[in-house]
Amino acid sequence: MREVSFTNDVLPLKDKLFRLALRVTLDRAEAEDVVQDTLVKVWNERGKWQEIRSLEAFSLTLCRNIALDRRKRASATNAPLTEREHQMRDSLPQPDELVHRKERLRLVREAMDSLPEMQRTLMLLRDVEGKTYKEIAEMLAVTEAQVKVYLHRARQRIKKTIEETENYGL
Amino acid sequence: MDYKYIEQLLQRYWECETSLEEEAILRAFFSQKDIPQELLPYASLFQVEEQMTEDAHLPADFDERVRQMISAGEPCVKAKRIRWSSRLHPLFKAAALIAIFLSFGMAIQHGWQRPEAEIASVDPQPGDSTSIEIVDEATAETGMPQDSATVNETDTY
Repeated sequence: MREVSFTNDVLPLKDKLFRLALRVTLDRAEAEDVVQDTLVKVWNERGKWQEIRSLEAFSLTLCRNIALDRRKRASATNAPLTEREHQMRDSLPQPDELVHRKERLRLVREAMDSLPEMQRTLMLLRDVEGKTYKEIAEMLAVTEAQVKVYLHRARQRIKKTIEETENYGL
Repeated sequence: MDYKYIEQLLQRYWECETSLEEEAILRAFFSQKDIPQELLPYASLFQVEEQMTEDAHLPADFDERVRQMISAGEPCVKAKRIRWSSRLHPLFKAAALIAIFLSFGMAIQHGWQRPEAEIASVDPQPGDSTSIEIVDEATAETGMPQDSATVNETDTY
């Protein structure tokens, strides 16, 4: 059996963990702390690494649980607008299409950030991380059918936001 | 150009009926520069998701911090040079302890056995003044012969 090492197998997961933590907490500093805690906890579980089928799935599940715990404790509020996006809006006038495009991106991002946590996490795991429904179901401890239901709701909501923006203007 | 296939894929995407491969095709399509006007609004979703990947970067010193946190929880193990004399210290201690026990043991054994040995070594010859003196002393202290003193003690109980 292949030897599992922290440097080669666990540490490279940090970006995936960060993206997930960021989707749950919607706060970069908080997400960074979550990733740190996750990696330390995974390290502390090193005695079980050989028994764990997928270290990535294990770490992602742990990361989400830690992020949810922290969020519950801090009762964090949704603050989807980042500084970068504010700067984007406050910058000098630009050609109409570019402004329109940026505004559309902002609205979609806001819509994604305003989804319930489970739906946000699902969209990330499916669309960004490219996980199968089965993998997602195992990670989030739900059934595959539930995964599809939540994901369907999330996508429908985003679709509605996009279409409303186009039909009724910005 | 006909974008029917993309439109169909998109329709199935909203209904969660696409496979990972088909979703990758959509992502590749919407990452292009030239997207038809009618599909352009939907590009924002895939662009936001791509932004999520690009934006999610941890600070450069993150790895080092995690390593420090991990090593802080570990017991500090340092190599220490040990000399031959130091290695034999426990052996010396054990030997010293055994020697002490043996000497104590011998001393105690010797102490218990000494009076008997001395008595045994005395030759009970009729002309020996030492043995006569001991008997005399005992008799003098009790004021009576040894046998009768033993009988008196038993009576008092």
